[in-house]
Amino acid sequence: MTARLFWLASYPKSGNTWLRAFISNLTGERDVPASINDLGAGGLASSRGWLDDVLGFDTADLDRGEIARLRPAVYGFASERRRSFGYHKVHDACHRVDGRQWVVNAGATAGALYLIRNPLDVAISYANHGDCSIDEAIAMMEDPEHRLARDDGEQLKSQVEQRLLTWSDHVRSWVDNPEIRTHVIRYEDMKTDTHLAFSAAARFLRLPTHPQDIARALAFSAFDKLKAQEDEEPFRERDPRSPRFFRKGVAGDWQTTLTGAQIDSIVAAHGAVMERFGYLDAAGSPKVM
Amino acid sequence: MNDIRESYRLFGLRISSDIRLPELQPFSADEPGDVEIRRGPVPADGTEVGPKMGPFSHAAENALWLRVPGVARYLIRDGGKLIYQPEGDIDEDSVRVFMLGTCIGALLAQRGHLVLHGNVFEVGGGCAVCVGSSGAGKSTLAARMLQRGHRIIADDVCPVDLNGRAIPGISRLKLWQDTARRLEIDTAALRRIRPNIAKFEMPLGDAFRAEPAPIRAIYVLTPWNQDRFTIADMSGIAKFQALRANSYRFRFLKGMQLGPRHFRQCRTLAADVPVAQVFRPRLGFDIDGLVDLILADLAGRGAVS
Repeated sequence: MTARLFWLASYPKSGNTWLRAFISNLTGERDVPASINDLGAGGLASSRGWLDDVLGFDTADLDRGEIARLRPAVYGFASERRRSFGYHKVHDACHRVDGRQWVVNAGATAGALYLIRNPLDVAISYANHGDCSIDEAIAMMEDPEHRLARDDGEQLKSQVEQRLLTWSDHVRSWVDNPEIRTHVIRYEDMKTDTHLAFSAAARFLRLPTHPQDIARALAFSAFDKLKAQEDEEPFRERDPRSPRFFRKGVAGDWQTTLTGAQIDSIVAAHGAVMERFGYLDAAGSPKVM
Repeated sequence: MNDIRESYRLFGLRISSDIRLPELQPFSADEPGDVEIRRGPVPADGTEVGPKMGPFSHAAENALWLRVPGVARYLIRDGGKLIYQPEGDIDEDSVRVFMLGTCIGALLAQRGHLVLHGNVFEVGGGCAVCVGSSGAGKSTLAARMLQRGHRIIADDVCPVDLNGRAIPGISRLKLWQDTARRLEIDTAALRRIRPNIAKFEMPLGDAFRAEPAPIRAIYVLTPWNQDRFTIADMSGIAKFQALRANSYRFRFLKGMQLGPRHFRQCRTLAADVPVAQVFRPRLGFDIDGLVDLILADLAGRGAVS
């Protein structure tokens, strides 16, 4: 099988949409920014419409286990039919279905660009996104059973269920995957070393890397541009419970927003992965970046 | 092979089947039906049937091979034969769900119908068709229209005849538990469509219209992130594209060599029938607001008597 699918993988609220806006503007020929509601860059891995179309029968008539088991075959077929690379956002942790295939199908995967963001900031953004308290967001990030679009078998959602695992296990499931080639980018580096971080991403994703192209795409996908677009027209990927999707887009918000107890709780749960990706100092305290 | 052989009516066809189809209207007949459904060997690999259309499907001229892993394999041929082979010890309800969905849709396409993916309800002497992506709210809308006194003509699989009329389907609505709860429909006495899913089959009885009805308008239901409804007429190529995008299992049509005919059918229907996009709030939308909007729109088109 020719591996044609690149996954843009991340825990929610870690810069994935920004990256997709960048890719859309990098591959597009337009002289105006791509619409946030038309970020071409392929479908979401969890899109029920995509799965139903490829399968030829309704996932609405399947249970959560049956759907999970069929997903690798859908991506395998999608990869087989492509002549060029496809780029798809995915929030699932990279887990095996039924202890066998990886949910995203390693054989169909050209690579996974993994976006990581300081979990102290993710907690705040995730709370805002899901319209829950920060403490609830922290609890979700520690819950190995946490799922997006949870399938209770009682209603139809436009996305199929996605297993996230804990925040730490989400990171490890991708970056330590034995069969999938990954490239990790920190959200904080996307903010501070923007050109460098995005150029590396483009290279990994086999996209144009000419500095002028990168600069143009970055200008079109700058946070204030995305935010201004959301002021003009509602963003379809916003959680309807949340007032807006593009909120602050800053690194280090935790310093003024989280309580000491909340910081301690996140560090206690995710310290090992935080340390590995440079979010803790030598003394094990959160680094101010 | 099962011993039973029963006859039913569906989509105006006489169906003879060796699997009981409690969803359908029984029909007593001695002569052979238009469609035969029977259990039989279906090749484990669809390659011998034709080119691959998806990970679990192959198609050739007037033939479709479909596998629903863990449920059954199906072979649909020449608009008249549907052979199924269950996998493992799967229950009959599960085998029927896909048989009366994708398989019957393919069979209708093979018989020359344009098949839309949507729900149809009666209004005045005609009907309106509501299409849209999975989760757009088609079933909820149909269930509420039913509660508001409109007979249902088809649920999910909606064939259109050469005169632009919707052909009646199965006399039921498939309802999720969540929808039933919102519309205060008691599911205690209803059958689950499959044992493992809280989706129920609501028989329509007198609320089913068994005669074809001329289509007054087609609505493309589209959830959006604003908290209000809007309705916008489509025109030109957009109408045609909407019909194509909301055709039932568009993926298989080309493989079954039905592409050119389908293209002409969409073009004809687009020329004859208004198509409008209806935007509705993604979350917590007011279903009666949607019903009122659509009925008012139909009244404006002179379709409500």
